[in-house]
Amino acid sequence: MTRIALTGITRSYLRRAPPALAHVSLAVEPGTLLALLGASGSGKSTLLKLVAGVEAPDQGDIAFDGRSVLPVPAHRRRAALVFQNAYLFPFLSVAGNIAFGLRMQGASRATMQAEVRRMLDLVELPGIERARPAQLSGGEQQRVALARALAIRPRVLLLDEPFSSLDPAVRHTLQEAVRRIQRECGITTLLVTHDRGEALAMADRVALLDRGALLAHETPQRLFARPPTRRAAQLMGVTTCLRGELAAGQLHTSLGVLTVCAAGPAAGPATYAIRPEQMRLAHAPEPNALPVRVLAETFRGEQYEYLVQAGSETIRVHASQPVAAPAYVVLPAEHLFPVCDDAAAPPARSA
Amino acid sequence: MPDATHPPARRAAALLVRMVLGTVLLGPILALLLYASSTHWFFPQLVPAEWTPAPLLRQLGDPRTRAALGASLLTAGITTSIALLLGLPAARVLGLRTFRGRSLVLLVLFLPNIVPPLAIGMGLNVLLLRLGLAGSVAGVVLVHLVPVLPYAILALLGIVARYDEGYELQARTLGARPHQVWLHVALPMLWPGVAVAALFAFLVSWSQYVLTLLVGGGRVITLPILLFAAVAGGNPTSIAGLALLFAAPPVVAIALAVRALATAAGQPARGVP
Repeated sequence: MTRIALTGITRSYLRRAPPALAHVSLAVEPGTLLALLGASGSGKSTLLKLVAGVEAPDQGDIAFDGRSVLPVPAHRRRAALVFQNAYLFPFLSVAGNIAFGLRMQGASRATMQAEVRRMLDLVELPGIERARPAQLSGGEQQRVALARALAIRPRVLLLDEPFSSLDPAVRHTLQEAVRRIQRECGITTLLVTHDRGEALAMADRVALLDRGALLAHETPQRLFARPPTRRAAQLMGVTTCLRGELAAGQLHTSLGVLTVCAAGPAAGPATYAIRPEQMRLAHAPEPNALPVRVLAETFRGEQYEYLVQAGSETIRVHASQPVAAPAYVVLPAEHLFPVCDDAAAPPARSA
Repeated sequence: MPDATHPPARRAAALLVRMVLGTVLLGPILALLLYASSTHWFFPQLVPAEWTPAPLLRQLGDPRTRAALGASLLTAGITTSIALLLGLPAARVLGLRTFRGRSLVLLVLFLPNIVPPLAIGMGLNVLLLRLGLAGSVAGVVLVHLVPVLPYAILALLGIVARYDEGYELQARTLGARPHQVWLHVALPMLWPGVAVAALFAFLVSWSQYVLTLLVGGGRVITLPILLFAAVAGGNPTSIAGLALLFAAPPVVAIALAVRALATAAGQPARGVP
């Protein structure tokens, strides 16, 4: 099992543009799965290419088990990449694809055959050795790509949005399969994704990347409940951030006074956020309630979504049951949490 | 393969097209065969009175013919190899990268095919004379590369432009060393394009007359040179024999290429649900 440590990674593609990655430091504990979550252009795929060794950072160091791998070329780094496009070699059979890495190392025929069979069992596709890649479905192709990556017994497994081109049902079973295999093999894994649900469901830790900067590195539960900055909160689906003056456990906002209890700055200007499903709509005033006007109601299946206007703010509230003509939105004190402004966050880029 | 999806009218049309194409393509070759295998064929006979492979065999046995065939195969073979070795990297850069001056490079590359070959040949002949390469196979190969290389690059560009370098990236992370990536990934992926380019390059070089004559200076006698000399001589049997020999490699090469490409194209499609 390998520990990955990234220190101060910076990578720029164009001289004048902001760097694709700026001063990213991150550690992945042996045998765990870290999800790199971010929108397109956040630098998450760049980070993966740097770890794989197909690109080199401008600054910073990448170490496996405390030893820098920057001098090690991609083909000797044993960091196997699986892409969104499975990149199965079309001129080889499934067996030929899975054995590719072993063949490059000069493994014997018997070793390759045994390993191919073992890998196909692992990805639950036994007996398809002789099939051609074009005969497989998208999900099967990704399973074969995974088998091919694992066949070289890599030190780290790098997954670059491997599920995003699959339809939801297949994606789900494959996510579960990858998680099971990753645990069985105990292989340190980096998963790049833009899908919040996928990151939360699969990862031991989630690293949130935004425009080349690391915003947060947390357990999924903690990141979901308490994103540390405004931007992180936004990326985790929090749309309500209220700015105000904090004094004696009370936040004085332009909309009204709210009691807060989460530990934040003692006094002075502060921003507090709250998840949409932790607000409540009410008909009568109560503590921490703000008067609102309903702008829109949308049925989302698992929940109803209300768009309400409170003073100058529009607030998105999720409710499990429809609420008839609510007049207030309640922001329970225990669910309000402080967020930093992003200017105070680690240096993102020289804008 | 019986085809149930196409109505009879379409099948009939396809058959007609095949017959017309077949006649146009095979007709001249049949005529050459007739000429080459006849010793006595006088007016008003519709077909030769006597049929014998003897003249054709005699033609093949002629040391001058053999030497010309050898020279042609040698120059076309070397030219093709060099064109592929230079053309593949060039096509990769031109097809997969965008850089300033890319269109200018393309224009310069195709310029020799726009300018009349005689003009190029004259100019190059002066240069090659100074270099001491005029009248040698090396000189002929060099001058053949001028029209051949652009064709090879053009043929390779078609397949390289659709090539995804992700396959090479993938191979590298699976532990393939640079030369292994080239041998085990790039070459198999690009193979159809390389085959077509090789075919084009070989045929363009094979059919050069003016440039070979100018630079070869009568010392490098390739098949076209011999054929033109025979045409001037006016013996229809020997003209036909040489012409058949001259047409054989292109016909065989095209047939092989068509077969190879058809199987290559048919392979991934087979068995798809």
